[in-house]
Amino acid sequence: MLRQIDLSVVVAVAEGAATLSRSLQSIVDSELQETEFELIVVDDASDDGSAAIAARYADTVIRLTARRSGLAYARNRGAEIARGRLVAFVDQDIELKPDTLKLMLQTLNEHPGLDAIAATHDLRHCAGNFISRYWNVLLNVGESSYAGVGGGFGSGCGMVRRSILAACGMYDEWRFGTGTLEGVELGQRLLRSGHDVLLAAHVRVTQLRRWTAVAALREAFTRSALLARSLGYQQTRSSAPADVVFTWSRPALPLVAALSTVALLGAFVPGRDWVFTTALALLLVAIANARTVTAIAGLRGVFFALRAVPVHLCFQAVSVAGLCSGWLMRDTVGDPRPDAATQAYAEVGVEMWPPVPRPR
Amino acid sequence: MIRGLPEYAPMTDAHPFQRPIRDRAASTDAPVKDYGIASPTSECADVGAPRKTPRVSMVVVLPENHAVMPDKLAEGLRASGAEDVDVLIACAGQPANLNALQRCVGKAQFLLAPAGTSAADLRELAMSHATGDIVTLLSGAVLHGAEMAERSFVSTC
Repeated sequence: MLRQIDLSVVVAVAEGAATLSRSLQSIVDSELQETEFELIVVDDASDDGSAAIAARYADTVIRLTARRSGLAYARNRGAEIARGRLVAFVDQDIELKPDTLKLMLQTLNEHPGLDAIAATHDLRHCAGNFISRYWNVLLNVGESSYAGVGGGFGSGCGMVRRSILAACGMYDEWRFGTGTLEGVELGQRLLRSGHDVLLAAHVRVTQLRRWTAVAALREAFTRSALLARSLGYQQTRSSAPADVVFTWSRPALPLVAALSTVALLGAFVPGRDWVFTTALALLLVAIANARTVTAIAGLRGVFFALRAVPVHLCFQAVSVAGLCSGWLMRDTVGDPRPDAATQAYAEVGVEMWPPVPRPR
Repeated sequence: MIRGLPEYAPMTDAHPFQRPIRDRAASTDAPVKDYGIASPTSECADVGAPRKTPRVSMVVVLPENHAVMPDKLAEGLRASGAEDVDVLIACAGQPANLNALQRCVGKAQFLLAPAGTSAADLRELAMSHATGDIVTLLSGAVLHGAEMAERSFVSTC
């Protein structure tokens, strides 16, 4: 008979060889006893040797070989075979502190009313390049602002009671087949169904991924578009208070509205004083981003904040474009759905391995 | 039939696979029989065929200076629900009781890596030979701490 354990740690990986080893090592080096948790790695059709790396650390490796189905799908497969009464989901590019899992476990054990807990990013970033540090500081600012109960479940490391996860329908495999924001949506669902979710400022993790400017911009667009298309404006605002997308776009949305108003009014001003208009626009930009830039300066210094301002504006523009694109797609095409064959298989209830992505 | 037996080759100093394990793990064209196990495709011809349930493999990792009692191995695998799964026993060096193990765990494949191969390397090597969609990796330490049936499953020589 298999023994009962408290915790199952599920790591879903897709082409994660660059950071997986370090991430898994940090889990194995946790302050928890080896017998207190099991480590399950789900390889989502990687061809970079991620499964072999996983085997060096994991108790169980699940290989999904058919085609890449997304983190939500992969995490659900891991959760299905988990034995712990609690399940922790850790991203492939997240390094845990030695006490991260222990603190999360303790918090959930000591607060029976709390059903899920998510860690927050620290300021340390191992990649070292400017874009990675900028991204990381934005995550830190966003999460620090909204830490607490109701703060969300979208960070790179979260723990939830397995029974609650199952009752809530687990991760959404249809909407988030290609996205990376399945945790945001799950957190929203948990909150909506009356479960408390804590975004814990005292539980920290470190981001390992090295971001290039292009990759980060693409990610910003994808996340914004996917969130807006999946959830719509109101739900997106309420469900992702601490997400990095909103650290960018929240001030940018009124800013865009204000700039449009200025431009519209400028059309009626005789003589068109461009210096005045430009100064006014810059002032609006500064006011709109004052909180974020001040926070960045406080964390990383004034020089870093000054360097970040143009990058920040660029990311805001891309993020707003993504949000608008997502909302447009939502109104014209509707919710993201898998291809017709997958939908048909799911409707008929075909039993196969790997299983057909399920609608919620 | 005991998978692995026909392909098994005793490890000697002159054995061509005594080169570092890392080289072998990285190699993609190394013949499977060189590790002393049967080819995974020989008895798993349906690898690419559609199926309703996942294939399950169980890997037992035995680093150097660890031995396993054959009856306890069979009992432990039964206790772990391993009756319908492919069992792969990865050993660093040749266990002294290899024949007894093969008799007791008839379904198991044996993967014999050179003596001195680390547990992590054994796991990686075994993973590359396991055919399951779900691969469970058991180490001596884990089996030691498990239920009574598994308690003496693996013992240090």
